[in-house]
Amino acid sequence: MQELFLVIISAVFVNNVVFARFLGICPYLGVSKNLDTAIGMGFAVTFVMTVATAITYVLQKAVLVPFGIEFMQTVMFILVIASLVQLVEIVLKKVSKSLYSSLGIYLPLITTNCAILGMALIAIQEDYDLLTSVVFAFFSAMGFILAIVMFAGIRIKLEEADVPAPFKNVPIGFISAAILSLAFMGFSGLVK
Amino acid sequence: MRPIITLTIVGLIAAALLATVEDLTREPIALAKAEMKRKAIEEIFPFGIDSLKNVETPKTKFYEAYDKKGVLKGIAVESATTLGYSGKIEILLGVSPEKKIFDYKVVYHLETPGLGDKIDKPKYKEQFRGRALEGTVWKVKKDGGEIDELTAATISSRAVTDAVERGLKYINEQYPNSEGK
Amino acid sequence: MNEALNILTRGFVRENPVTKMLLGLCPVLAVTTSAVNGLGMGLATTFVLLGSNIVISLTAKVIPDTVRIPAFVLVIATFVTIVDLLIKAYSPELNQALGIFIPLIVVNCMILGRAEAFASRNGIWYSVIDAVGMGIGFTLALFVLSAFREVLGSGTIFNMPLVGEDASTILVFALPPGAFAGLGLIIAGLNALEKKKGGK
Repeated sequence: MQELFLVIISAVFVNNVVFARFLGICPYLGVSKNLDTAIGMGFAVTFVMTVATAITYVLQKAVLVPFGIEFMQTVMFILVIASLVQLVEIVLKKVSKSLYSSLGIYLPLITTNCAILGMALIAIQEDYDLLTSVVFAFFSAMGFILAIVMFAGIRIKLEEADVPAPFKNVPIGFISAAILSLAFMGFSGLVK
Repeated sequence: MRPIITLTIVGLIAAALLATVEDLTREPIALAKAEMKRKAIEEIFPFGIDSLKNVETPKTKFYEAYDKKGVLKGIAVESATTLGYSGKIEILLGVSPEKKIFDYKVVYHLETPGLGDKIDKPKYKEQFRGRALEGTVWKVKKDGGEIDELTAATISSRAVTDAVERGLKYINEQYPNSEGK
Repeated sequence: MNEALNILTRGFVRENPVTKMLLGLCPVLAVTTSAVNGLGMGLATTFVLLGSNIVISLTAKVIPDTVRIPAFVLVIATFVTIVDLLIKAYSPELNQALGIFIPLIVVNCMILGRAEAFASRNGIWYSVIDAVGMGIGFTLALFVLSAFREVLGSGTIFNMPLVGEDASTILVFALPPGAFAGLGLIIAGLNALEKKKGGK
């Protein structure tokens, strides 16, 4: 139990998906302009990340390793993720048309969210068991939501601030991310 | 129907292509891995290695290094600790047949650059040379032991001391006699 | 000839995939701790981009629209696996340095982006040029950022020390915040240059 707790703290704060592992940057920049879209994206990513990690884990242990075809890992994992995203799209279209349209193009882009494939690969690399992998994925996604929401809040304020012309929009966004990343580094002694 | 057939064909071609490339690269990859291991081991021993013998136990891996005449010149062991500031630290420890330390190499770590990562610098590793499991109190000076800790990196120092001690223990278990047999 | 030259060079600065189009950012921030790593990643990605652009340009017409994206992703994943195996076999040090970011090339939005936007609609010759141009632009961005971070953060370039063993370096650049800040500064710099050019 304690080990699981450490994994959780590590996933959300110490090894934050965005600020420490550098995964999920593209949507992080693209979606964090609007708080509602950011949260919606966050939930979609959480769902896909958690389910994808579970499925790919089983795939790795039950198919890839026993049959000695580990080299098919990249291909199979990304296909699993692409299919999951397709599924989410179809379900979302039926269940919540408004969320579907507000997420717009960002929904299919979840497939290319390096965070999802990245976490699935890391879970295997760290040799977690199935439960730990799923917990790891879920809370890494929580860390992602934390990062996006914090960032969205900052960017909204930045819109009103007097930013020098060359820095407007993207560059100042990166500088803010740098400061947030620096702050998150403060967590690094937490996990013993 | 047609879309699915096309996709399946693409999939099959991809799988076939990858299986071929994998087959072609399997040996070079194994060779590259062995070469990297050998290079790492060569770094920690002050002598040239002619051949290496791998000994694998459920606990860890050992590498016996022999010279041209088949004389055992040193043993390397893989050891690790979870006590690092940022988690796991893995080392490769090299000892003489009399189980005295030659050197070690940090193979994996996530310690703070500029602070904790100095555990792999020759200046720090110097103090470990010649030590054995017996005769040294395997703790950092702050904890009453004999190992110097790095300024502002006590935790990393503690961790690597733990890893080195563990490595020595593995060696003692595997090679109980003093000639490394 | 003019068209070809245009396609080739636009990826360098004008439509640089990293600084202008903000694609493929994850590896940009993660592997740019040293110039060698940045270059290695750039070349590996260019290899995949080239392969996928060529194959997709040749086969796009026969792939039904509904399975277009999964098929493209499959092609890209195949080339990523090939480059992964090649790196493991012939450059294990690079493999250790780049880690999971090699398989992550498959989700580099730049590659799928070029496939969709260009390779699937153009002939093979132009697709090759596009891949080379974008690849160079990507590698250039990686190289500049990683050289910047390596020199300031570790005091070395191509692993050769520039300062004395005990000299202080601006450590933060070798760490995550420095990656974000470095990229932000580069883009701001390019913006400023562009404005100056436009103003003239």
